[in-house]
Amino acid sequence: MKFRSMIAYTLRESLAKKTFLGFFVITTIVHLLFMFALNVDIVSGGQAAMSLFGKDIPETVDMEKLMIGFKHIMSGLAVLMLTGGIFLAIFATGSLVPNMLEKGSVDLILSRPIPRWQILLGRYCGAVGLVAINVFYMTVGVWLIISLKIGLWHWPFLASGLVIVATFAVLFAIMTFIGVTVRNSGVSMMAAWFVMFFSPLLFQRDKIYALLSEKIWQWLLDGIYYLIPRTFELGDITRRVVAGEPITDWSPLIQSVLVGVGFLSAAILVFERKDF
Amino acid sequence: MNIIEVQNAVKHFNRGKIKALNDVSLSVTEGSAFGLLGPNGAGKTTLVKMLLGILFPTSGSARLFGQPISKPAVRDKIGYLPENHRYPDFLKGNEVLDYYGQFSAVPKDLRRQRAPELLKLVGMEKWGSTKIKKYSKGMMQRLGLAVALMNDPELLFLDEPTDGVDPIGRKEIRDLIQQLKSQGKTIFINSHLLSEVELVCDSVAIMNAGRIIVQGRIDQLTAKGHTYRLQTSEIPSTEYAALKNRFASLEMTNSHLEVTVGDYTELNQLIDHLRHRQIELRSLLPHRRTLEESFFAAIQGAASGDFNEMKGYSEKS
Repeated sequence: MKFRSMIAYTLRESLAKKTFLGFFVITTIVHLLFMFALNVDIVSGGQAAMSLFGKDIPETVDMEKLMIGFKHIMSGLAVLMLTGGIFLAIFATGSLVPNMLEKGSVDLILSRPIPRWQILLGRYCGAVGLVAINVFYMTVGVWLIISLKIGLWHWPFLASGLVIVATFAVLFAIMTFIGVTVRNSGVSMMAAWFVMFFSPLLFQRDKIYALLSEKIWQWLLDGIYYLIPRTFELGDITRRVVAGEPITDWSPLIQSVLVGVGFLSAAILVFERKDF
Repeated sequence: MNIIEVQNAVKHFNRGKIKALNDVSLSVTEGSAFGLLGPNGAGKTTLVKMLLGILFPTSGSARLFGQPISKPAVRDKIGYLPENHRYPDFLKGNEVLDYYGQFSAVPKDLRRQRAPELLKLVGMEKWGSTKIKKYSKGMMQRLGLAVALMNDPELLFLDEPTDGVDPIGRKEIRDLIQQLKSQGKTIFINSHLLSEVELVCDSVAIMNAGRIIVQGRIDQLTAKGHTYRLQTSEIPSTEYAALKNRFASLEMTNSHLEVTVGDYTELNQLIDHLRHRQIELRSLLPHRRTLEESFFAAIQGAASGDFNEMKGYSEKS
């Protein structure tokens, strides 16, 4: 009951924050744009004309090519939502752990008969749960609008929501760790954005090797690559899932999840022993 | 039965650079009201936080209800009103009680029943549906007290319970504490307001620089010692000098004589001396110290390294 209460409390607190309202409003604006700006008519013989954001894109294609193009658009959209959704989610949740640990607040919670690991895990689950609600609102909404307008129900698109939430869960584990150790919202968010920013660079680290003077820097880059979540490659997995392409390498997802579990465990371990 | 027991607790911060608690031992009996006093930085809040599992002792041990403080379940029967608490300002009074009741595993039906009762008890019955960001500091303090009582605790930790509360509110809170005490609850008050502690508590401990320098019952700490206040007819200056020469502790304050004597024989010698010199004795009263006087004496004794004063208290306790 106490663990559930901590999740419910986190949800309640998050809902009261304007940042989550902002997330919801931006998602709704995206939905409205898709609802009104995207003009799709199915013409006889499977030909279609697509208008995006009010601009006509005259194109006459057969149904097969139309489907391929449609899948590419949907997968591109999924990657866009992953990036945008994660960016908003980091912003909306950045202060959740440091706020709870502020003087005057943390005493009120730690003095209750709840094990510390449940307090932190409840906070974590509450934040991830709320982001999941927002992300599914975004992905299901976009999918529903496009499907209804085009008349094509591209189910794999919905999987993008799961990957976005999983990616966020991994990044929020890092934010939780930083939040517990440093107790600063800004640093927590910077850590998550650092991972997001460096992930594509690290993915292409073999191209950077030529710029490095010593071998040790290569090893360092390799080490960082295998120590932080591979969010860029998770984007590629999302794209492949939505486009219906086979996924040849699951290691980015497995590594990211393991890193997330590692950071969350470390955060709990530190929280269990920390003085407030 | 001792409800709080602390044995040789030590707490160091910054790798031993700050010694917040230095071999602290104390015990609080069930059903009593205990006051922890001390100047800022004495280690009072550190001790309370340690007992509540908010921070961990470097060494030593502590038990609540006979259980080690490391067990979260030991806090089932504890209520806590921290100093400078910050309840989430997006919640209403009722919601604050409900959430913190949930954290203490109070069943839903009981929470619904107790929330309005407690708000009424602290004089906030009309404010339950108002967001707490509209509350004054005194109202927040009352709400904090209601939250601390939500799980019907057997042991209450109150850190500066009347902080920010007006004089009428202070009296109401004091009355409430007395009421809770009469219900058999143990109250642990951490306060700077010595006069209030004196009114509410049965026993106190005075801390300074991380150590408990005095501990005992208030009536013992403020007990009539061998200090007396005498009112006499006018004493010529030459006579006063002669008296002072014989009774070194004699002091003239506001037309009163104050003297500390070793025993009743010495007191009678003083009276005989006054009569012999034709000085009329109009009244003689044993002088009872206030808690504040005891506090300052203890702190000054600790600062000067003169532990005789403190030793005297400890022996009495």
